[in-house]
Amino acid sequence: MSLSFINIRLLTSIVCISMLIVSNSIQAKTKDKYEYSSNSLRVRLSPKVPQNIAAFYEGRGFSKPMIDTLKQQCFITIGIHNKSNDIIWLKASNWVFSTKAGNIKRRDRAYWKSVWKKMSIPLAHQSTFRWTLLPEELDFRSGEHEGGNIILPYTEQPFTLTAEFKTKADKSGELIKVIINDIRCVR
Amino acid sequence: MFNYKKLLLITIFSCVSLMVMAQDSLPVAPYGILKLTPYPAPKIQLHDIDGKAFNLDETKGQWVFVHFWASWCGPCRKEMPAIQKMWGELEPLGLKIVLINTAEDEDTIFNFLGIYAPDIRALMDRNGQITEQWKPRGLPATYLVDKEGLVHYQALGGRPWNNEIYLNFIKSLLHKK
Repeated sequence: MSLSFINIRLLTSIVCISMLIVSNSIQAKTKDKYEYSSNSLRVRLSPKVPQNIAAFYEGRGFSKPMIDTLKQQCFITIGIHNKSNDIIWLKASNWVFSTKAGNIKRRDRAYWKSVWKKMSIPLAHQSTFRWTLLPEELDFRSGEHEGGNIILPYTEQPFTLTAEFKTKADKSGELIKVIINDIRCVR
Repeated sequence: MFNYKKLLLITIFSCVSLMVMAQDSLPVAPYGILKLTPYPAPKIQLHDIDGKAFNLDETKGQWVFVHFWASWCGPCRKEMPAIQKMWGELEPLGLKIVLINTAEDEDTIFNFLGIYAPDIRALMDRNGQITEQWKPRGLPATYLVDKEGLVHYQALGGRPWNNEIYLNFIKSLLHKK
């Protein structure tokens, strides 16, 4: 009687722990938004599935080779909101994406310009593509929201974003350091 | 007893100050409109969807509302009906409204405007190169250019242009000499 009671408790515990592990792992695999938020700044990251990316650019008339190239990447849509009363400076070149194995190099505008040039992509499509990217640098004004995509080489590994934002018009204000952990590309 | 000389000097100084302020100062911009250090507007020589040519240089003497947009941009879709309403109210008062589509084709522009702003004609920046020269912060992007061709203001993102505050602000610009 007592043994059976212990067994039931043990079994229940195992089931509960297993469910917790499974649920955490599902959450990690299906998380579609990552966010940093403080009184002065909000940064949101939403990894995009390749089908969404393909559908968007197909709708803009992009060629198949261009879309096939983009579908291989890790697309993350970024939203930035300056909630402070001062200027906050975005400088994408100081954003660091790191895994346990090392840093991931972001594929910036210069990278894509060279890729599209080699593929002889029409200027109109290059222009539209550029406008969907996060600005490389921007002085976010008080209350301003802006966003855009950043593109990384696809990785299965979870990674961390470390980004610094200078503040005030002359960049002399308090530095805002943003760290977002366990980000995953989606497929 | 009373120092008339001093009073006269103060009066003259006040009048001159007021005259200078009246000439140089522009109205305070509403929320979301950045006052810029004025600079010459980059060139715009484009055709509209009907093939009619447009040159920004030919608008000297008028305030110009220069707006960049694309059909795929969500805030542009939201903002366009407000621009159409503003168009109806402010173009008769002398505001020149210039809408520039960034890097899309005729069919896309035609379909978009048919839904969101049927009365509006847009210029076509087919390769997106004119848009690049204006260096917008993002799309949509709006600039206000004065009668001399200088850019004075830039809007942050989409704005409710048909709202009284924005209409009155632009009206006050139109009344400036």
